[in-house]
Amino acid sequence: MSETRPGGGAAGASSPVVLEMRDVTKTFGPVTANDHVSLVLHRGEILGLLGENGAGKSTLMKILYGLYRPDWGTILVDGEEVEIRDPKDAVARGIGMVHQHFTLIPPLTVAENIVLGAEPRRGVSLDLNEAIRATERLSERYGLRVDPRARVADLSVGVQQRVEILKTLYREARILVLDEPTAVLTPQETEDLFEILKELVADGLSIILITHKLGELLGVSDRITIIRDGHVVETVNAAETDERALARLMVGRDVLLRVEKVQAKVGQPRLGCEDLVVRSGTGAEAVRGVSLEVRAGEVLGVAGVDGNGQVELAEALAGTRPVGSGSVYLDGEDVTALGADARQERGLAYVPEDRQSKGLVQDFALYENNALKTYDEPPFSRLGWLFPRVMRRRASENLDAYDVRPRDPDARAGSLSGGNQQKAILARELSGDPGVIVAAQPTRGVDVGAIEFIHRQLLEQRERGKAILLISLELEEIRSLSDRIVVMYDGCMVGEMSADEATDETLGLLMAGRGVEV
Amino acid sequence: MDGGRRGKPVGGVLRRLLNQIGGALVFPLLAIGISFLIGAVIIIATGNNPVAAYVALITGAFGSPSAIGRTLVNATPLVFTGLGVAVAFRAGLFNIGGEGQVFIGAITAAGLGVALGPLGLLATLVCLLGCILTGFLWGAIPGFLKAFFGAHEVVTTIMLNFIAINLATYLALNTLRGEGLVPGTDTVAAAVRLPLIGLGLGRANYGILLGILAAVVAYVLLWRTGRGFQIRAVGLSPGAANYAGMGIKANTVLALAIGGAFCALGGFVQVIGVEGKMSIPFVANLGFNGIGVALLGRTHPVGVVFGALLFGGLQAGAQQMQFATDVPLSLSDVLLAVILLFVTATKIVEFVVGKRARTLAAGTRLDEGLGR
Repeated sequence: MSETRPGGGAAGASSPVVLEMRDVTKTFGPVTANDHVSLVLHRGEILGLLGENGAGKSTLMKILYGLYRPDWGTILVDGEEVEIRDPKDAVARGIGMVHQHFTLIPPLTVAENIVLGAEPRRGVSLDLNEAIRATERLSERYGLRVDPRARVADLSVGVQQRVEILKTLYREARILVLDEPTAVLTPQETEDLFEILKELVADGLSIILITHKLGELLGVSDRITIIRDGHVVETVNAAETDERALARLMVGRDVLLRVEKVQAKVGQPRLGCEDLVVRSGTGAEAVRGVSLEVRAGEVLGVAGVDGNGQVELAEALAGTRPVGSGSVYLDGEDVTALGADARQERGLAYVPEDRQSKGLVQDFALYENNALKTYDEPPFSRLGWLFPRVMRRRASENLDAYDVRPRDPDARAGSLSGGNQQKAILARELSGDPGVIVAAQPTRGVDVGAIEFIHRQLLEQRERGKAILLISLELEEIRSLSDRIVVMYDGCMVGEMSADEATDETLGLLMAGRGVEV
Repeated sequence: MDGGRRGKPVGGVLRRLLNQIGGALVFPLLAIGISFLIGAVIIIATGNNPVAAYVALITGAFGSPSAIGRTLVNATPLVFTGLGVAVAFRAGLFNIGGEGQVFIGAITAAGLGVALGPLGLLATLVCLLGCILTGFLWGAIPGFLKAFFGAHEVVTTIMLNFIAINLATYLALNTLRGEGLVPGTDTVAAAVRLPLIGLGLGRANYGILLGILAAVVAYVLLWRTGRGFQIRAVGLSPGAANYAGMGIKANTVLALAIGGAFCALGGFVQVIGVEGKMSIPFVANLGFNGIGVALLGRTHPVGVVFGALLFGGLQAGAQQMQFATDVPLSLSDVLLAVILLFVTATKIVEFVVGKRARTLAAGTRLDEGLGR
């Protein structure tokens, strides 16, 4: 059951309550996503909604936005009980949502995207000029700088996000929900966003910020509601808490936010590439002449905002994407022409950034996924004949060693939480005792407890002399695990430094392309 | 707000058992039940007694040895075409070419069977292998086109149906034309034919055992071999399969080729088992009904066998039903159509029976992706 404490921040208990969700319950079959969840939002406040993946915060907000119907519970807007059957109802009630994955139409302009669905008319036809004027009015009023005539496809992610916010403001939202808004932003863009949010609440809006990033919440929210396993654990004032306390509330136990790291014992280069050029699916050059090397016993962190070629770089190194030009080396051998399974046989493990559609076959059982690359070798098969019992046994051992829950080798992979799926992939990749590990976004969408576990696993491999290439969007993760850091921008490596030298500022600048080319 | 029940999960082990066995059966059984209800309404509308009609239907399908024999005769080729669709479906591919593949198998069987007559059972074996080969090659064509040119297999398999049917018909009426009143090929020697089971089962032959054997082969292929592992992985997640180094192209070609081989064997049993020749017009809709059988059987070899028996039974029983009452033959087609509708459109069942049915069946494959 939940208890809400009245907020004590700048816009605290003294402000009227604009939104209240009471005893909201939502089940999907045997899974209870929200269990009598209650929360309160005051006018002019920024409420942080914190929880691990699978805790139920997204479900709760989807209920608020009309995408789900709750099994039980009430929603009150401005003190009045409302029924929200679909997003149209939500919008009519002044609730606006900015999704994690934007819903913009790239070929259209900013103004067109903003008015889409509620277009100003002149007679029967669309009044584009009015749309542009409306955009300019909103842009000025709320201090969100955009060019109404610009094509969305040409805009940076930070500006696209502003357009998403303007969409909600155009529809006169008074309650704004942002779902993981900083996942795609550089540190500077994140700061800009938080400035914008503070101005919006000064103007009378109320904001709910869904995130799993503890540090950011402390910087911008007034109160924070923590959800764990479908229940509200507690609601605290941001001013009266810290990261450790929040992490403990989120996970239910003490969590090491920064894993201990011993001094690196670095050896020979084991993985490397030279003048690597890789094309993306659209044919454009995603990696434009990158050369790097990873040595035994070290973690090389590759930082960068999503979409600057990291994914393609990882795939080219692992062998799941063909190389345009240049070469890839593994322990001194040129493996450019070799496929993923050949490289895997030579000791390269690859944890892909997309566990849903690449790392696992969601509909396969865990024991089948555990053998995804090795099913055609003994002891799992002989002369083409499979031995599922052996596969199950080996999978059981792996699942135990890597703390995958549930420990059921017959469980369907897709039924596991994100963190457990990632641990299962790790179990598969690391159990073959590889010499080189390429890990792309290994903790994306993973809960704090599992993040800690995965980080410890990677550092253990590092201590055992493996070479690790870590690609991550989370600067925190890069800084805490890496020995050396490089930054990718627009397909090129734009900076290289030791972890000690790196600061959020330097990295942020390089990630935004405002640095010196190496 | 709708009054809430705090949903508690049914006890662990029982639930898992219910899921595995019950879950797979819930939808087909519910679908059959609902379709029979709708059929009853139609029967009443034609001025007949539904109870009498259904009694006649069931007796005509399973009520006597000769009825069972008729059911088996109908069902046997459907086991093969059902498998041909199911195996391809496991690789994420739609094999709509069963119709043509059956004709390819039939003309191969008729041609080889007549030519190798003196060899007796050895000829039967050669026919069997020959059909597997020609079906495999015919199925490989759309596989190849899809893998290397991106041509959607639904389009190519349907087009190839026309080619195969016309080609086989031409051969049967010209090059391989036999003597006799019924147009078509020569009759295959009795020694080459599949023996009848006897026991009062009429024309039922050992082809049904071949069908069951084929289902076992399909099961073993898909779940006990490395190749089957690849096929299923490619079907469920091409991205993950590629990441694991599995060849998408090779498996696409193979899956459709294997599907073609199974369907061609449907033609084999029809010629070498039931008719003894390929007569023109040849039995129709084996390939298309194979799609229905595969869906009814949830693309699992065991399900395909039962689905084929259901199809075969309804077709056999419909004749008895028309004889005993006045209900037209086509009612069995209607019943089958409604069953298929409910099996594939699971939301309709949920609408009719309520959410409990969906909860019971939760975890079975067809339920996936319906939005949680």
